[in-house]
Amino acid sequence: MNDLLQQLSNQEYKEGFVTEVEQEYVPKGLNEDIIRLISGIKQEPQWLLDFRLNAFRKWQTMPEPHWGHLKLPKIDYQDIIYYAAPKKDSERPTEIDPALMDTFDKLGIPLKEREVLAGVKSKEVAVDAVFDSVSVTTTFRKTLADKGIIFCSFSEAVREHPDLVRKYLATVVPAGDNFFAALNSAVFSDGSFCYIPKGVDCPMELSSYFRINAAGTGQFERTLIVADEGSRLSYMEGCTAPMRDENQLHAAVVEIIVEKDADVKYSTVQNWYPGDAEGRGGILNLVTKRGLCRGENSHLSWTQVETGSAITWKYPSTVLLGDHSSSEFYSVAMTKGRQQADTGTKMIHIGRDTRSRIVSKGISAGHSENSYRGLVRVNPGATGARNFSSCDSLLIGPDCGAHTFPVILNRCPQAVVEHEATTSKISDDQLFYCGQRGIGPEDATALIVGGYAREVLSRLPMEFAIEAQKLISLSLEGTVG
Amino acid sequence: MDKTYIIGRDAVPSDIRLAEGESMRLTLFVPEGTDCALDLTVSLDGPGASLDLAGGWRCNGSENVSLKVTVRHNVPGCTSRQLFKGVVGGSARASFDGLVYVAPGAIHTDAVQESRTLLLSDSATAEARPQLEIYADDVKCSHGATTGYLNPEELFYMRSRGIPEAEARAMQVEAFLAPILNRLV
Repeated sequence: MNDLLQQLSNQEYKEGFVTEVEQEYVPKGLNEDIIRLISGIKQEPQWLLDFRLNAFRKWQTMPEPHWGHLKLPKIDYQDIIYYAAPKKDSERPTEIDPALMDTFDKLGIPLKEREVLAGVKSKEVAVDAVFDSVSVTTTFRKTLADKGIIFCSFSEAVREHPDLVRKYLATVVPAGDNFFAALNSAVFSDGSFCYIPKGVDCPMELSSYFRINAAGTGQFERTLIVADEGSRLSYMEGCTAPMRDENQLHAAVVEIIVEKDADVKYSTVQNWYPGDAEGRGGILNLVTKRGLCRGENSHLSWTQVETGSAITWKYPSTVLLGDHSSSEFYSVAMTKGRQQADTGTKMIHIGRDTRSRIVSKGISAGHSENSYRGLVRVNPGATGARNFSSCDSLLIGPDCGAHTFPVILNRCPQAVVEHEATTSKISDDQLFYCGQRGIGPEDATALIVGGYAREVLSRLPMEFAIEAQKLISLSLEGTVG
Repeated sequence: MDKTYIIGRDAVPSDIRLAEGESMRLTLFVPEGTDCALDLTVSLDGPGASLDLAGGWRCNGSENVSLKVTVRHNVPGCTSRQLFKGVVGGSARASFDGLVYVAPGAIHTDAVQESRTLLLSDSATAEARPQLEIYADDVKCSHGATTGYLNPEELFYMRSRGIPEAEARAMQVEAFLAPILNRLV
């Protein structure tokens, strides 16, 4: 079994390659001049620069949060390059650097409008591919535009649809919401913007793919999704980064606005570089994701599979403002080696008859720490509100930790909130049973964990489900000791 | 060992330690009109120690009740059972903060924690933080927490049999707290 553990330490992170491409950078460090420079490169209007500067001034007065169950390494914010972009010969989208094309090809992300992920041909997926600080291309824009759907990079949205961006930007996550959201608001580079007009059922999955490539940089993307009345959308997000001995910072903000009767499903498969077996390097994934169910009967569903990152600090949340609105949060968080994850959700019930459901599955192996942290809050007016949370933890090996820190705050005597959590391990009996039937410990573990996580995995869009299942069984390789 | 503490009347120790094979039945109750900020730690320090802990609170005015209970499983093979039930009315505020800690190496731990709260009025607040912090793999730990209100169907049943509303409600509350109250006598 020690051999197996050894294998795990040496196990390859297959997305860990670096693309050799000429890049342009802004100087290291963070101050108002850098922010002006970034804003200038992107030819932004004055109001957006003011927004950035305002956020930066707020950020300077805020302390770095340390309440998570995490050992956060010291981050020197002056030692980070806040903008890095591959040099381009001509204007996109006519010409994409072949090196970038290859990169995304290798990652299985089609930049040409042809097949889709994992060889499934039947369905099309529109991709917005973000490489370091810029969006490389957005596919299927024409097809989507025919239906009135706007799907483009954030920078383009600022240029082409400034009114929409201005109307919705920072309405869900205000600039000074928290330390990392404020940092993002000050320096955010690219990201995706999506607007689904009234009554439109988005004909294909939309997705963003984030790739960190340059050394010494951080990625600060911002995604804004607006689903107008009666519309439907399924959105996916993926991410990877090269293997390096340094920690790289990723501080993103995702805002989702769901209007009356609209339905949004947001899925994430997070596979940032997790660092090596001794905990050197890896991405610090410190993100703020929040949705606002603004209208009646609106619905927002979060699904996340977290396998990467040295540190994950992430709480996709929903504010249930509209009456009868509902939200779900499904999560699988898998940690191994020296990874640390502190993740969960917040459900804020404000409207009447609002409903939320939380299903969280944590898997810890090696020397990792895996925590669920959540808040369910019911305000006085939220009569008929209902929440159910279930958080399970699975421990593999004697040296890892699994923790559950939920908070339930109820101020409404016509609301019901339920929470339950369990912690267990894969029992010897289960392994023995499989062993008797010729299933080795490795496969048996993958089988048991697969079953354990199925409730969440089955919520993923098909293209993602296959990838997620593979990722989890790959992560499990050699964890049985 | 069987101990009962009525908060506001009895002084509660802040630190209780159980040695090998020791078992303890501990009951806490916060009666109406009592403000409190209780911070109790029970450490299971010897193999085979077991704890049966129950706590209840009943507030109907403007009380501020805060209960912080930490159960530490420091060695292998210990068992703990915790049950907390609270009723919060008026403009009272009740918070329950319960941590089950399992130290590295404390295998064969069996820990269960349950907390249930009833909210009776619009201006009352109930807060629950049931927490698990676990550093050993071969353990069985679970917790559950709920907050809710009096079942309207039960109330209807009793009223249709001629029990006045106020009396019916009182019965519901009493029945809810019974698992704790029964341990006081």
